[in-house]
Amino acid sequence: MSVLGIIFANIYDSSMGELTNKRTMASLPFGGRYRQIDFSLSNMTNSGIRRIGILSRYNYQSLMAHIGSGEEWDLELQEGGLEYLTPYALAYSSANYRGKLEALNSVLEYMSYGSDDDYVVLADSSVLCNIDIGKVLDSHIVSGKDITVVTKEGIANGKKRLDLAVKLDSKGGIADMVVDYPASADYLASMGLFIISKDLLMKHVQDAVAHNLYRFERDFLLNQYQAGNLSVNIYQFGGVALYNESPAEYYRSNLSILDKDIRHDLFSRNHPIYTKVRDRVPSYYGEDCHVENCSVADGCILEGTVRNSVLFRQVSIGAGTLVEDCVIMNDTVVGENCELKCVILDKDVTVRPGSKLIGTPNAPVIIKRGETV
Amino acid sequence: MYFQKKRCIAMLLAGGQGSRLKVLTENTAKPAVPFGGKYRIIDFPLSNCVNSGIDTVGILTQYQPLELNEYIGNGQPWGLNKTHCCAQVLPPYERHDKKSGWYKGTANAIYQNLAFIERYDPEYVVVLGGDHIYKMDYAAMVEYHEKNNASCTIAVRNVSLEEASRFGIMNTNPDSSVYEFEEKPKHPKSTKASMGIYVFNWKVLREFLIADEEDPNSSNDFGKNIIPNLLNSGHKLMAYDFDGYWMDVGTIDSLWESNMDLLGKEPVFNIRGGEKDKIYARNNALPSSFVDADAKTVNCFIAEGSEIYGSVRHSIISTGCYVGKGALVEDSVIMPGAVIEANAIVRHAILGENSRVGKGAVVGGAFEPKEKKKISVTSKGSEVAASTVLLPGEMI
Repeated sequence: MSVLGIIFANIYDSSMGELTNKRTMASLPFGGRYRQIDFSLSNMTNSGIRRIGILSRYNYQSLMAHIGSGEEWDLELQEGGLEYLTPYALAYSSANYRGKLEALNSVLEYMSYGSDDDYVVLADSSVLCNIDIGKVLDSHIVSGKDITVVTKEGIANGKKRLDLAVKLDSKGGIADMVVDYPASADYLASMGLFIISKDLLMKHVQDAVAHNLYRFERDFLLNQYQAGNLSVNIYQFGGVALYNESPAEYYRSNLSILDKDIRHDLFSRNHPIYTKVRDRVPSYYGEDCHVENCSVADGCILEGTVRNSVLFRQVSIGAGTLVEDCVIMNDTVVGENCELKCVILDKDVTVRPGSKLIGTPNAPVIIKRGETV
Repeated sequence: MYFQKKRCIAMLLAGGQGSRLKVLTENTAKPAVPFGGKYRIIDFPLSNCVNSGIDTVGILTQYQPLELNEYIGNGQPWGLNKTHCCAQVLPPYERHDKKSGWYKGTANAIYQNLAFIERYDPEYVVVLGGDHIYKMDYAAMVEYHEKNNASCTIAVRNVSLEEASRFGIMNTNPDSSVYEFEEKPKHPKSTKASMGIYVFNWKVLREFLIADEEDPNSSNDFGKNIIPNLLNSGHKLMAYDFDGYWMDVGTIDSLWESNMDLLGKEPVFNIRGGEKDKIYARNNALPSSFVDADAKTVNCFIAEGSEIYGSVRHSIISTGCYVGKGALVEDSVIMPGAVIEANAIVRHAILGENSRVGKGAVVGGAFEPKEKKKISVTSKGSEVAASTVLLPGEMI
């Protein structure tokens, strides 16, 4: 049995503000040494998927630079491997697709030429988790349903707008399905991860786009389910799922890896998350540094005090500086005697000595890539 | 198959046992011994090759090669897995004539792989050891060799007169040409010690390797045979001065010391470099390290995948290690995957890969600065049971 993976790289880009100004959601740095797409890619390769297409619409230079030939994920293969599905890559593809259905319609040719694929796994780049897709596939096959939606309990809260949410009845059947709606806490949130047979997906995509429909969840899943044309299997994921759909969520998700249970769930030794290797030296902790409750990637030089923060590769923290509750991306330099609280510093930022930047957990200060403050 | 002609290739001698590293090399070759948190000794000469533009490296293995071979793999971490670039492991092999079997000496090891070198038809062959920690631009040395029209150039470093009797010493003329080579002289005339790094004109080396093989009394060694023979036949040998950091990590003490040389705000050996002198290593796909709210981390290296809940001072914590709550690690080298459980104390020690120090156990201790170092060592996968003691200088 053979499975094709499709990852959407640009979902929610517009909701992340400056963080995705010059990159896709997929290439947004996360957790010290990763990019968001590393999770979907690693989940797929850890589950034995050997053919993966990445659908990206714009801003994908950083994504391609990060993944390259896919060798870190063992996707540099004789057969299958990685394919970048960028606009205009195929005869019928355009940059103007409005949703996932149109995006998929533009790559039907790619989906069909590996004609022995039985199933397609569809994934977004905004929900991070470490999941065994093999188990989801087993559940899909056993259920005999047309499509499996991977869901997470505890995400819906009546405020967060969800792409797709379902409520189950007492027998585990679907009592209600909603889209684009701040569903209440008794709903399960979709994780943007679906399994469907390839033939069925291709048929529905062509049919939907022919009727000028383009939204996967609304126009295909909900419509066809309500019309009785699509049976839906709900898979409840028990592990950690981090939804990064706004800067505040992104900030909280990063800091959540300081929690041992979350960290160990996301970065399981048996199912590693792979990423691009940078060959930085181990981090150096200076004579007078105080590092407390921090996640620290390689290559950092730490001379000041750092608490409850996530430091990416090659970050420098000057002497006399206090950093609290911050997310600091790679190659950023914080000078001496600064005070930073609740700040996201993007890559290559320079913070001049003596600076003070104070944000709040719900509105962290964000400093753009390459800026000097 | 078509092999691209190369101006210069390297042959890396990685077959030595390294018996002075004792328990650390019981089951692995010295070049595969971990160093500096995320490296292995062989990463240094291999990365130096790549940073010097040498993209074809033959790696001669013999002693306990499993881990080393696995580590080198297809050469991908060093970018040596391309169509015309390679890191080729060359083990001893059986031949139709009797001229085969184990590598008898360093020169014999190269002799047995003449066929590998000849594929590339090189002008120059760089011969390297796999047991030194240093960063060096071999390209500059080859240029010096070419400019001086030498048959062989040997990298040398200045040592003290007392130390000189432990090394192969080059006695040189004012123009740095070598007139005499003395192996471990009792009364050294010079302080220029060979670093075991040679550049040869391939045609000359080939001729001398073949002649050396014919000589039944030869020990088939570069220092003992090839270099003296070249000198005696009137070939031009040059000494190439190197004044950067270089450490032979052939003993427990020097391995420990060289690791400690990485620490400090201005370290004795600054391993951190630009893109041009980066040291590459095979990667383990481990997450960032985690330092707990109760941890103390002072003047130390901590590599990715480690979790620190206790205190670490003046130490190297390698990839994937664990230091439990209330534990203390001081003046020590903790190799990859080692676990130090809660309230254990580790001082002046080298803990082998994946070894374990149980709860409340004590490994090593203080020694007077002037007395001989007493480094406690645990071997790969070994365990110091909870609440037991491994004395200073003891090894398991």
